[in-house]
Amino acid sequence: MHEVPAIIHWMNNSDIGTGIRESIWLFPIVETTHVLALALSVGILIWFDLRLMGWGMKHQPVSQVHKQVMPVAFIGFVIMFVSGVLLFWSEAEKCYLSGFFRAKIVFLLLAGLNAGIFELSTKKSIEDWDKYPIPPVRARMAGLVSIISWAAVIIAGRATAYNLF
Amino acid sequence: MHFLLPFFKSSDATWLGETIRSSRIYFPIIETFHLLALTILFGAVLVLNLRLCRLIMQHQPVQQVASDLSPWASWSLVVILVSGVMLFASEAMKCYASAPFQVKMTFLFAALIFHFSVHRKITRANREPGLISGILVGTVNALLWLGVGLGGRAIGFL
Repeated sequence: MHEVPAIIHWMNNSDIGTGIRESIWLFPIVETTHVLALALSVGILIWFDLRLMGWGMKHQPVSQVHKQVMPVAFIGFVIMFVSGVLLFWSEAEKCYLSGFFRAKIVFLLLAGLNAGIFELSTKKSIEDWDKYPIPPVRARMAGLVSIISWAAVIIAGRATAYNLF
Repeated sequence: MHFLLPFFKSSDATWLGETIRSSRIYFPIIETFHLLALTILFGAVLVLNLRLCRLIMQHQPVQQVASDLSPWASWSLVVILVSGVMLFASEAMKCYASAPFQVKMTFLFAALIFHFSVHRKITRANREPGLISGILVGTVNALLWLGVGLGGRAIGFL
């Protein structure tokens, strides 16, 4: 067995971790919630990214699309995060040792960093380009990086479960 | 013997099914595309249905939201159906014995029929749908697609 940090070992063998992993229903229910919440989180977020890239909803101001879809996406991300933490808890050792899971975390951080830069910096000038069908390069990049990093999160997440390569 | 058994047997024996089974990585790769397309399709369906229920984008006509979403929804539906057929061919006999698969297909056909009849009609009409009919159609549509997703995930578990 590979060495894992004490906390990972503890999570894996805690009552919560073992309980979810060995339950007939709990693991599939948490996992199904995690997968279907993709539609609520990334599936909704994509529409804002597409608007930023000038690929969809061009006749709506960027700020309007942001205001409409982000609260829904936020709910989706909360569900994603809670169910994701529970799944990790139940398979902490497997996840910790999985290259795909590590890649998933890297892309998650990238998506978060990208969103943070957009919210704290790029968005400051939104009034100047709010109604443009195609926003400026920085905003378009934010949309593109978001879509790519979330797609990578999904791909790496799926690969973690198969544990293939 | 069920009258559909020959169909499942011949799907299982196709070149496509055998090729996908021949490698350990084809199935996961195809399934990943299936999942990415699911994200886009369900996301689009959700946005439109939330609009029908007047929870978001109240200032945009339903018709306009629908036409914004439809190219993305259509393409993701194509990807999801093509990858779905491939996944099915690779494990048709498993699907034959799977109760969740039957549930999924029932919801899928119901969702497709509803989506391209009632739902399409109400979202493409020039006139804004009424509050009650919007909520009703939006909720039924979302639940039908949710049934497809739940059934699909359950195939892998049960």
